Amino acid sequence: MSLDPCEPLLRVEDLSRNFGVHQVLVNVDLVLGRGDRVAICGPNGAGKTTILRCIAGTLAPTNGRIDVCGYPAGSIQSRRLTGISFSQERSFYLRLSGRDNLLFFAQLRGLKRRQAIEQVRAIEQELELQEILRQRVDRCSTGMVQQLALARALLDSPALLLLDEPTRSLDDHATARLWAALESRSTSGLLISTHRADDVARCHRQIHLGS
Amino acid sequence: MTLPAAIDKSTWDRSLPRWWVAAAVVRRDYLITRSYRLPFVLDAFYGLLELAVYFFISRTLRGAVSADLGGAPNYFAFAAIGIAVSVVVAAAASGLARQLREEQLTGTLEVLVAHPLTTAETCLGLAGFPLLFAVGRAFVYLNVAAVWMDLDLSRISWPGLILILVVTGTSLSILGILSGAIVLVLKRGEILAGMLLVAMTVLCGSVFPISSLPGWLEPFGKVLPLRFAFDGVRAALFRGEGWETDFFVLLGFSVFGLAVAIAIFDRALRVSRRTGSLGQY
Repeated sequence: MSLDPCEPLLRVEDLSRNFGVHQVLVNVDLVLGRGDRVAICGPNGAGKTTILRCIAGTLAPTNGRIDVCGYPAGSIQSRRLTGISFSQERSFYLRLSGRDNLLFFAQLRGLKRRQAIEQVRAIEQELELQEILRQRVDRCSTGMVQQLALARALLDSPALLLLDEPTRSLDDHATARLWAALESRSTSGLLISTHRADDVARCHRQIHLGS
Repeated sequence: MTLPAAIDKSTWDRSLPRWWVAAAVVRRDYLITRSYRLPFVLDAFYGLLELAVYFFISRTLRGAVSADLGGAPNYFAFAAIGIAVSVVVAAAASGLARQLREEQLTGTLEVLVAHPLTTAETCLGLAGFPLLFAVGRAFVYLNVAAVWMDLDLSRISWPGLILILVVTGTSLSILGILSGAIVLVLKRGEILAGMLLVAMTVLCGSVFPISSLPGWLEPFGKVLPLRFAFDGVRAALFRGEGWETDFFVLLGFSVFGLAVAIAIFDRALRVSRRTGSLGQY
């Protein structure tokens, strides 16, 4: 897919989302360019995950507009351009190994099996996931599943990464590997929700929700 | 309520489904099913048990059945086809809804939908494994019935049988996709699919002939797609000919119905995105 270099990676205009009468997001604006790293901060319930779900296209905005490289959020083109890591506890097939899970999600991104195997092997080396990929996911700890979720988000080198509290439950080494992987993808845009000051410090700017 | 501009365009990609994407979903379902070894075996054994029940009923009623058996030499042969086809029909009509419900309960539905697969690929992928597994089971049951229960397959048309089973699966998948759409919106739609399926199998002559139905019910039984499936399979098995009309009728149902069902499923996905229920069960 060819991308217009002048088009921002992500444009969020006047985004609002209500759940019943409860307004979670009100008139949020955001523009993200290539290589931008933005942290979303705020207390629990401020709408950090909601904004990521709206951009990923699994939740429709009540009002407003979201484009990923000019494509409406939720369209197949925007989903192709986006890598996601959401709440990890329930987003993998627990009866399958880490490797089978990653191969499956790589193929959902349109990769043929041989390409998927190569991609998974490269990410396995980069993030040092050998042990995690061998095991069935229901035998992995929360931190191991969290690392698997980052690996899934990085498959097929998406232009935009949406990570929901990716460093939660990670030890120091895994956190270092995560940031090394993100920083090596210097042209990808990153939107990360986090409560951790050291994550925020690695981003170029932050937006605070719920204030 | 009008949709906001951000999602006003349909997320339905109308390009042809990529077979390897749908195949990845099929493979995943196979691996998950295989990981539960005992239920995997018991599931296959259940059908053989059912076959045995009708074998003994048929022996008990030998010579007592006078209804038109659609070319079948005896009641057991008639019922064995009913059982084999019903396995395929049940998988086609409820497999997708069951898979989707499992995705909701395990929490993987939202992440699946966030990935770039089209609605058609989602439907084909989720319906694929239950359908293929059912076709495999149907062949095993027919062969077991032929080897150990005297089911006469000497006049069988294998191409006819395979083609009829394939179009039976695709035409009944329409019902499966529609009940999947109900599951997306209402969460418990598989109950409706189950009810419709039982009603159809009763009306269409699965284990007893349509001529045994009360007169006012017979016309319903004659126009439902399932009736063409049973008739076609029996023609291919016992006469080796005469299945072609049933095949084309089922093909017509498939071509028209699948496109409509996938469009409705796509609509249900958009409703789920709007209500924010993709991550709920």
